Amino acid sequence: MIDINWALVAPLLVIQFILFIVALIDLIRIHETNGPKWVWAIVIIFLNTIGPICYFIFGRKTS
Amino acid sequence: MKTFIILLQKEFRESWRSFKFLWMPLLFILLGITDPLTNYYMEDILNAVGNMPDGFSLSLPDFVPIDILMASTGQFQSIGLIVFVITIAGMINRERQNGTATLIYVRPISFFALFMSKWVVGSLLGILSVSLGYAGSMYYTAILYGSVDTMSFIQMVMSYCVWIVFATAVALMFSAIFKTAFATTFTIIVIPFGVMIDSLIGQYWHFSPWKLANYSVQLLSDTHNEYYIKTLLLTIILLILAIIIGILFTRKNAGTTKI
Repeated sequence: MIDINWALVAPLLVIQFILFIVALIDLIRIHETNGPKWVWAIVIIFLNTIGPICYFIFGRKTS
Repeated sequence: MKTFIILLQKEFRESWRSFKFLWMPLLFILLGITDPLTNYYMEDILNAVGNMPDGFSLSLPDFVPIDILMASTGQFQSIGLIVFVITIAGMINRERQNGTATLIYVRPISFFALFMSKWVVGSLLGILSVSLGYAGSMYYTAILYGSVDTMSFIQMVMSYCVWIVFATAVALMFSAIFKTAFATTFTIIVIPFGVMIDSLIGQYWHFSPWKLANYSVQLLSDTHNEYYIKTLLLTIILLILAIIIGILFTRKNAGTTKI
């Protein structure tokens, strides 16, 4: 295993983690989404980075 | 003026509640710092996942800071721009579709204030995202590859911001003219695909707004580009034109709102 300089990679992981948490909290609190909620939960949890962003663009129902 | 400030506050509140001011900058920071990192660790990544045959050797070019910033700009111009433009392209017509616009249009507001409030918020969102994205990219580039001249870096970021502001105005213009799906499609064709087309066959002309991003990165190198100023001026003129058309169509299509 190559030793990774964690100081370099940490910000990347932190950003991904923030996106993940914010999307998940918003999904729990939101009243209704475009499409079933559980699908969005799977998308957010399993698709790294792209998942939360897709949710914010397409998933949120604004009304 | 008063309505403008109130509409501005409304737009800010809406953008804040839909987390746009959180995830858009984060996306651009991610795009910005991915390139310096992947290029730096390219050898390790290839060794880990590449399934390289024995004795395979690959000589990677020695990157200079401007190459990395160029790569980051490429990321912003493709993924970042598409996501940004899709978000902006729904700002006016989505309100018309879900009926929020009715509540606004029945009041005696000026459509100038309405359009400008959206444009200002969209532009601020874009400028914030792009600046933070470039800051992230520059931070890693400075650590891993070396630094560039500070003044020309600031100049480059500001000049890229002009391009983002232009993209916002065009997206809003289409948003005022068409319905949601059409607006998104047209905006994607004009802005991100325009960039692609310009990079494919763009050698036949020297100034177009789509070239502005490349020209702004060239500000970092010492070569002087005589077309830069003209491109910048053309972009600003088209930006003003897009805003005027947008305001006219916001007024014209006010009747299409759903009640």
